[in-house]
Amino acid sequence: MQFFFEVLIGGLLAGVMYSLVALGFVLIYKASGVFNFAQGAMVFFAALTFVSLVERGFSLWVAFLITFAAMVLFAVATERVVLRPLVNQPPITLFMATIGLTFVLEGLSQLLWGSQPHGLELGIEDMPLEWLSANTGINVSQFDLFAALVAGILVSGLALFFQKTRIGRALRAVADDHQAALAVGIPLQQIWAIVWTVAGFVALVSGLLWGARNGVQFALTFTALKALPVLILGGFESVAGAIVGGLIVGASEKLAEIYIPQFLNAPLSEAWGVSVNLAGLEIWFPYALALAFLLIRPEGLFGEKHIDRV
Amino acid sequence: MQNRTTSERLTFHDAMETFEVDFSDLTFSDAAEVDAFYDEIDSQLVASGRRWYFLVIYTGCVIVPAAWERFAERGKASNINHGLGTVRVGATAQTRDSIRQDAERSFFRANIHDTRDQAILALGELRKKQRDSLPAADDKFLRIDNVSLRFGGVKAITGVSFAINRGEISSIIGPNGAGKSSLLNVINGVYHPQEGTITFLGKKRHDMDTHEAAAQGIARTFQNIALFKGMSVLDNLMTGRNLKMKCNFLQQALYWGPAKREELEHRKKIEQVIDFLEIEHIRKTPVGRLPYGLQKRVELGRALAAEPTLLLLDEPMAGMNVEEKQDMCRFILDVNDQFGTTILLIEHDMGVVMDISNFVVVLDHGMKIAEGTPDEVRSDPVVIRAYLGTAH
Amino acid sequence: MFYRDSGQFKETYSTDQQIFPIRQDRIGIALVLLFAFVIVPVIGNQYWLSGILIPFLVFALAALGLNILTGYAGQLSLGTAAFMAVGAFAAYNFVLRVPGMPILVSFVLAGITAALVGIVFGLPSLRIKGFYLAVATLAAQFFVVWALTKFGWFSNFSASGVISAQKVVILGYVFDTPVRKYLMVLTIVVLMALAAKNMVRSSIGRAWMAVRDMDVAAGVIGIRLMHTKLLAFAVSSFYCGVAGALYAYGYIGTVEPEGFSLDLSFRVLFMIIIGGVGSILGSFLGAAFITFLPIFLNTYAEPFAHAIGLQLPSGIVSNLELIIFGALIIFFLIVEPLGLARMWQIAKEKMRLWPFPH
Repeated sequence: MQFFFEVLIGGLLAGVMYSLVALGFVLIYKASGVFNFAQGAMVFFAALTFVSLVERGFSLWVAFLITFAAMVLFAVATERVVLRPLVNQPPITLFMATIGLTFVLEGLSQLLWGSQPHGLELGIEDMPLEWLSANTGINVSQFDLFAALVAGILVSGLALFFQKTRIGRALRAVADDHQAALAVGIPLQQIWAIVWTVAGFVALVSGLLWGARNGVQFALTFTALKALPVLILGGFESVAGAIVGGLIVGASEKLAEIYIPQFLNAPLSEAWGVSVNLAGLEIWFPYALALAFLLIRPEGLFGEKHIDRV
Repeated sequence: MQNRTTSERLTFHDAMETFEVDFSDLTFSDAAEVDAFYDEIDSQLVASGRRWYFLVIYTGCVIVPAAWERFAERGKASNINHGLGTVRVGATAQTRDSIRQDAERSFFRANIHDTRDQAILALGELRKKQRDSLPAADDKFLRIDNVSLRFGGVKAITGVSFAINRGEISSIIGPNGAGKSSLLNVINGVYHPQEGTITFLGKKRHDMDTHEAAAQGIARTFQNIALFKGMSVLDNLMTGRNLKMKCNFLQQALYWGPAKREELEHRKKIEQVIDFLEIEHIRKTPVGRLPYGLQKRVELGRALAAEPTLLLLDEPMAGMNVEEKQDMCRFILDVNDQFGTTILLIEHDMGVVMDISNFVVVLDHGMKIAEGTPDEVRSDPVVIRAYLGTAH
Repeated sequence: MFYRDSGQFKETYSTDQQIFPIRQDRIGIALVLLFAFVIVPVIGNQYWLSGILIPFLVFALAALGLNILTGYAGQLSLGTAAFMAVGAFAAYNFVLRVPGMPILVSFVLAGITAALVGIVFGLPSLRIKGFYLAVATLAAQFFVVWALTKFGWFSNFSASGVISAQKVVILGYVFDTPVRKYLMVLTIVVLMALAAKNMVRSSIGRAWMAVRDMDVAAGVIGIRLMHTKLLAFAVSSFYCGVAGALYAYGYIGTVEPEGFSLDLSFRVLFMIIIGGVGSILGSFLGAAFITFLPIFLNTYAEPFAHAIGLQLPSGIVSNLELIIFGALIIFFLIVEPLGLARMWQIAKEKMRLWPFPH
């Protein structure tokens, strides 16, 4: 039973990390209607830049600031070179442009900093929380809790921002219709630069947390892909949805990873007469879950229903 | 023994369109008591504003002879004013016999049953029989019966009924948001109405999907042009003939033989439409590059390519200048003349509507407010107030 | 001056609907085919045949498949490599387990198997569109690779799921030299390209494009959406499956599931974006571009860097490749969303006028 809780909590905490990456997506989608496939590459770039600076002797905070500056630069450059020429193009075109952006960023990251994996130390250990394991026998990593806390703060801050501020409202207008927003005098270019910067900041935080947990390596770009099922479950436009979706994906992924092979390996091996090992299905399980969900509720838990008017 | 209040004995069943009256165990000792009870019934019926089937439960009800005449009188009046038909429940043989005798005497149908469930079954039969016995004079080409369409809480169409004749040009007019396009979408199968039926070529249906509608010969154009922007004019017109092409994809992959013959045969037909609409010069142009007026014409062409029996046009003149409108009018009249196609169109330009239509239906806020010939509609005060306005 | 269609009047619909209506085009394509079938086998060396032309053809076929699904039918797919994997492993298993199975038949069966898998993963397209559908195809991509690795039966229980393609024997001839393999692949690809071109100019192609452009209107004029979408998945997966089989039997020889990764799916997607979505020619142009670019970079990056005095660290070429690909995608999307195929068309229009400017 304790093991179950460990797995569950571990999954939930991993889920929070997924939410963080998904948050970057939601920001940009909410504000510009663009599905930014490059979010994962942004996470990777931020993490790699940070860790390379630290290794070259910069302190944690200075490295953080410099990396953030780089993300700002990236946001502005992207707005200028990619988004502005593609104003009002169909969403699929913008999506493919972000795929291009992904590749550029991945190549650039490795060109600048090389392609070896790096370890990242943030000063918080990946050790079980003492009093918890002493009292209940459940092992929960301190680091995971710290990550969850950071994510929580970030998410709440952003949710408030969107709901309460004038800029938040402008962002939502932009997401709906670029040309209309321009017509009303909303400074599209500035808004986009701001949003991508914020997304860059989220990517930076995500990169640090993920990098500290799993090491900074190319596989970090794939966490973005993991965020996709989160977005489907939670809806592309909802900050709350990103959290809930992340928790669901994280928990179900961990539980499936541990328990499905445990329960199905033996019976399937018997039934088919060969040794069956269902390990590793967490690669595709979240997607299957998202898919099943899509068939029932295409707009996600919190998303908005899309009506086609003829 | 009257152990329940009057209002407890009266129930409206919306879905079944039934008003249930429970007389069981009541005693009416004089006409005044009958009146009191029926006043209550009648006031509720009047307040509901519509007609109902009646489900009346008589078990154990005692009416003294002095009250009987008044009882029969009030009952008959309620039926005539608010009823569509009545079923009765009498749990005891005595009650049933008594009702049946009375029915013979007074010439009404007893329709009395042992239990409430049986009565409800009989009610279903009664409703079905009434529906099926609607005037079979359906030489009407297209009949819309009591169609209602809702989107969540928004009522797009409420209880609209009308009919159009074969070979005529009919128009639907009304202010924006009146539900005109929605009505076309219902006829076409894009939306499925919650209530009502559509009878097309004698076949009655509650709803139908777009594929069936197309297969039955209904074609249409759209308010905001729904052409396939990535294809040429020729290809767009050919998609209109998609239903008539029988070769499967393997034959088409091979092309030589049946697929090629079919392509050429349909190409010939398309060329007739191109000829008719005078769009030869833009055959190969991608539709996205054409000016608005020509796009509208191409859309008409795609609808015509299907050789439809019924052509639904949604604001075919929208956004056109005078000359383009004249051209479009000419095409519509020619289509009706040469191919005998029945046309139902939505239009805001009153000049066009009055000029070319045989029959006009006026909608406002989802309801039909008038119908008739153009002249009748033009002079109808309700229409003038809601939509046309008067010349000052 | 040379490229004119003056004097070439079409007097029948038949001639009007030819694939190559302009005579110069017909001559051009005849020359290209002559060159490909007759001259290349004679002058080609092993490196060019095995390392460049065969993969180009194989990927052109995969690009054709993806173009049918994404370019013509408008259903975004990120699972191309998975369908190729299905084709490769299916062909292997058919040859392995059915005694006397002719290799060409096994290719067809492999394609059909891939088509069936394609239909299964295409079912969600009936309810979902756009990016969401892309996610469904991602599920396919990850699941197929995982399944092929996990269930040893597919790879005949070899280590890590690696399979070795068997010898190709057609009608008694052994196809083991580069020239023979090249001719086999070339023939198959040309025939399938022709079939694809025929399909897209017939009613099924128009139905696909209608679904892509406006599926509600397509439904209204009587096109059956389910049928059309699933057929797109089936045909596209068939093409990708055959491409996968050719990949194994004509090109690499030993394949493993990991080799058909998401990376490969993206590669094929880039081919059709750069080459031109919704264009048969575009599939070939894109495949050529993506096949030749790394070679070009490999060959010329070093000398170029030396010429301007730069010292290139190792591994730079692959990263440069990434950056250039990405930049090109963005460039094409901004400048010419219809890709190289459209640029080719525009060039031809200009050629018709040459030497006049307009």
